[in-house]
Amino acid sequence: MTASRLLFVDDEEGFLELYRTAFSRDGYTVETTGTIEGARDRLAQGGIDLVVLDIRLGEVSGLALLREIKAKHSGLPVVLSTAYARYQDDFSSWLADAYVVKSSELGELKQAVRRCLGAAR
Amino acid sequence: MSEVLETVVDPEVAAWSVLVAYTAGEGLGFNRAFLLLAEGGQIRGWFGVGPRSREEARELWADLRQRGVLPLDRLTEPDLEAVEAERKRHAATLAALSHDLVTGCGVWRRAFIGRSNHPNPCVRHWVAVLDSRELVVVPLMAGSQPWGVVLADNFVTHAPAYHGTLEAAETLAHYLRAALERTQLLLRFQEEKRRRMLAEHATALLDTARTLAHDLKNPLALAGGLAREIMSAPTADRESFTRRLGIVATAVTRAEQRVAELVAGLASRADGISLGPVEVGALAERVTEAFRPLAASRQVRLLCYHPERPMMAAAAIPSLERCLENLLANALEALGETGGEIQVAVRDEPPWVLLVVADNGLPLPAPLRVDPFAGGITTRRGGSGLGLASVRTLAEAMGGKVEYDETEPGWVRFTLFLRRWS
Repeated sequence: MTASRLLFVDDEEGFLELYRTAFSRDGYTVETTGTIEGARDRLAQGGIDLVVLDIRLGEVSGLALLREIKAKHSGLPVVLSTAYARYQDDFSSWLADAYVVKSSELGELKQAVRRCLGAAR
Repeated sequence: MSEVLETVVDPEVAAWSVLVAYTAGEGLGFNRAFLLLAEGGQIRGWFGVGPRSREEARELWADLRQRGVLPLDRLTEPDLEAVEAERKRHAATLAALSHDLVTGCGVWRRAFIGRSNHPNPCVRHWVAVLDSRELVVVPLMAGSQPWGVVLADNFVTHAPAYHGTLEAAETLAHYLRAALERTQLLLRFQEEKRRRMLAEHATALLDTARTLAHDLKNPLALAGGLAREIMSAPTADRESFTRRLGIVATAVTRAEQRVAELVAGLASRADGISLGPVEVGALAERVTEAFRPLAASRQVRLLCYHPERPMMAAAAIPSLERCLENLLANALEALGETGGEIQVAVRDEPPWVLLVVADNGLPLPAPLRVDPFAGGITTRRGGSGLGLASVRTLAEAMGGKVEYDETEPGWVRFTLFLRRWS
């Protein structure tokens, strides 16, 4: 069975390093990018099974990318990940398949990824 | 009296002023006087002036005579502590004077003299409480409703109250009512303003807390997550291990910085200072300009340098103006009458905006050099010593700081560090 391919989008290289380490060890194929453009390019190539998306990407909002993904790749699950729960108030965030508040404990994020991948299959 | 009452902003001071005019020898000359206000079906004792007993009266009047005090002279500059003490001194009597507003009570139109056989139970009650032979009752009406009453008597001297005195008492009581209504309106306005400010502060605080929660959670989650990874799967690759530790350390430093900013921000709110974006260059130019005539009169060259682009700092305009004014006043003081030069400069030094005031006057005296901002050290330079202390307090309340140095020979330099507004 092929490992699921996850794309992490976060403007902090430290988080990308953390995701690469933690999710690779769990058997996923991990790809990362720090920009919306990078994510857009990578998604256009295809082969991504799930996107983990930070909402605040520097000065731009990841919610715009979320809307774009849901319009162009409707079956692709997206897990929103951010440090602050207020973004749940933004209706756009409801398009996401799961919503996880960033934590040093990655258990919730891992669970959300598993759940969304299971539902997508 | 009317002029005094027009400037009073405290209802108790208004009451005290009028009752002092009732009791002062050069006023209406009553031995004591009380103000009662109608409130929720009751008429309550609210303020009183004068001695509580014959013994106290003798001591008080002897003391006033000996010190040559004319009570009316004190009205222009009321001693708030003395006013408060007077209110407390009469608290028991005022409580005893309070009475239910029974039918007919307080609906009198004109001042009159009440005695123990008065038909109205309120008047009989007041006469009994004060043990008064002749009690002057001055009613205050709001339309057809009682608003309050002033009571006065001569329980020590038993001097009679004449018709003219009653008329003067009525006039004074009406001044009092107008002043009280105005001050109470002012108090309500101030209370409303305070509530609105509190609400605004609470909203701003919540917003700050939300932003900081976000900014803190990010580095903490990152540091904690990587630390867990390092623990659960130690890597033999030293370079990778060092890089991850570096990320953890950077994240912790970021969190520390944000906590420091949070503390500074909260401190400024606790001090009642609401920070906003302030263009420091324009402010420096404006304040410096205001000092130019004074500087010119002392042969002091006053220069102000700032970049053309706006230099935005997180500050409160009145606080920042006060800081710069104090520093300029300090510099002028140092230059004395001999003249010299003061330079005001605004510079960008991320994460700070610097506001520098330097002068080529006398160096700081030795006692001040230890901590020029400690306050309380009186020297020629620095005046009362409180100006510089105030600068530090205000700077810190704005999340900044102030430093002093004499690194450039012949110059004394004070530097205000203000957080850049981003």
